[in-house]
Amino acid sequence: MTGKTIVITSGKGGVGKTTATANIGTALAMRGNKVVVVDTDIGLRNLDVIMGLENRIVYDVVNVIEGVCKLNQAMISDKHDYELYLIPAAQTRDKNAIEPEQLREMCAELEKDFDYVLIDCPAGIEQGFKNATAAAQEAIIVTTPEVSAIRDADRIIGLLESAGMHNPKLIINRIAPEMVKRGDMMDQKDVESLLAVEVIGLVPADEQTVVAANRGVPVVHNAKSPAGSAFMRIAARVDGEDIPLMDLEPKNGLLSRFKGMVGMNGRTYSHA
Amino acid sequence: MLETSVVQVVARGADVAFVIDESAPFDVVASELRDYLSGQSGLWSKGNITINVGQRMLARNELAQIKSIIETHSGLTVTRFWCAPESLSGGDFQIEAKAAPILEPPKPPNPMVETEEQPVAHNEIVIPEAPSVSEPTTSAGSITAIEAIIEGLKARHNKNGARNRNITDALFIKSTFRSGETLEHSGDVVVLADVNPGAEIRADGDIVVLGSLKGWVHAGASGDAKAVIIALELPSARFQIAKYPGVAPTSARRTVKSSASGPMIAYVRSKSIHVAPYAGRFARYKKGVPYDG
Repeated sequence: MTGKTIVITSGKGGVGKTTATANIGTALAMRGNKVVVVDTDIGLRNLDVIMGLENRIVYDVVNVIEGVCKLNQAMISDKHDYELYLIPAAQTRDKNAIEPEQLREMCAELEKDFDYVLIDCPAGIEQGFKNATAAAQEAIIVTTPEVSAIRDADRIIGLLESAGMHNPKLIINRIAPEMVKRGDMMDQKDVESLLAVEVIGLVPADEQTVVAANRGVPVVHNAKSPAGSAFMRIAARVDGEDIPLMDLEPKNGLLSRFKGMVGMNGRTYSHA
Repeated sequence: MLETSVVQVVARGADVAFVIDESAPFDVVASELRDYLSGQSGLWSKGNITINVGQRMLARNELAQIKSIIETHSGLTVTRFWCAPESLSGGDFQIEAKAAPILEPPKPPNPMVETEEQPVAHNEIVIPEAPSVSEPTTSAGSITAIEAIIEGLKARHNKNGARNRNITDALFIKSTFRSGETLEHSGDVVVLADVNPGAEIRADGDIVVLGSLKGWVHAGASGDAKAVIIALELPSARFQIAKYPGVAPTSARRTVKSSASGPMIAYVRSKSIHVAPYAGRFARYKKGVPYDG
């Protein structure tokens, strides 16, 4: 089996890299792939928490690279009945604990056994970013429709291009369709024209994402959640399916309009 | 615009330019010009004018004759000639002038090298004060200075091939120029995409962006104030040409009305940057929207 390594990165922190990694990884596994997610945010590990695997960590990625343990000893199997594994980051070390070349070797080893190796990249453009991107063949950029996140995504795309990684894919996270409709938020076209890369997914703002993260169960498990289904569709596209992007429309029913009038309109949105 | 068959007089406010048909024989030009000016004698008061001779090969006495015709038949003073570098090599071209038109006053003994660096326009010869041309002055220093400029123009011209003075060393960028990317280039720069915020381009020549210019660019970075910035969209609030910084006007009243559509050009005029809708590289741009903050 020769899988591929995909890095999920953003430049700016807090835009949803780790959430995206957990959800795309889970969704790919639910589709029948053998998936491993690697947390390279050494010193600030989060991916294990979002996936609900925090209590099962024994070894981490630094242990693997330093030869303290074998690769399969550091892999934590997900609680569910599909093939999803996590290699957590070390919390007590920093980004300089590993070298790009070492992570590349580790991922090459993983590619032999897995369909997808997803790397959760730390924020920033320093050592951690260099480590994470060196190991990957493809990149998925996560951004939110905010100028600061887009500026950083632009920088990241430039850095990836100069490192020879062309055509990264873009996920626009936390879109609030009502704000877009009011003209208070950039829409997909604005972001796409500025960054000039292919959009692979639009994820609506959905409070279920936060609830799911706090519970340690990625939101893709919640079939009713708009964000969950958005991540399912992204995973399908990563998996090579050609499906159109969601059309994010604010709910326009009578009840929702009434709720909007009295300020009760929640954060759920219908989608096509 | 006033017009005769071979001599066009183009007047814009305080500026007047005589554009002479480059294909007409010289004596026709001379007589046309004389007739035209004497017929309009009351029209001209004092002022400075520029003569644009186009591609014409002018011998020195012909140039002097034109100058004397204009100055005797009108109150105008000829201060500048515009000509193509080709006409310099072909014609026996020497200009008499009283003082050197050079911006740095001390004249070096061998001004050849020095003058190349001076911000003389692409094909402009400046005559600061108009003497009576029929009696050429013999100020050796000034003649050397002007010859040096001509040599400089020739050198510039020859560098790019005999008749291709408008072919320059341009750099093409075919993808989006992104935040954090920087570029320095000694010629012109063309970007076939957007220049995103946070990107920086410095070029000694012009900068053309076939997309949206949102980053920071510096045209004429080595001091050429004739350099321009052209962009299909110019939302960038800050950029620079030569030593002049451009800052988009903050009051909405003064912003360029047509900025929503159509290419824009930024250029230096009266020591500040102006932005106007693009109307051709060598169009004469009126006062645009000053980018002075």
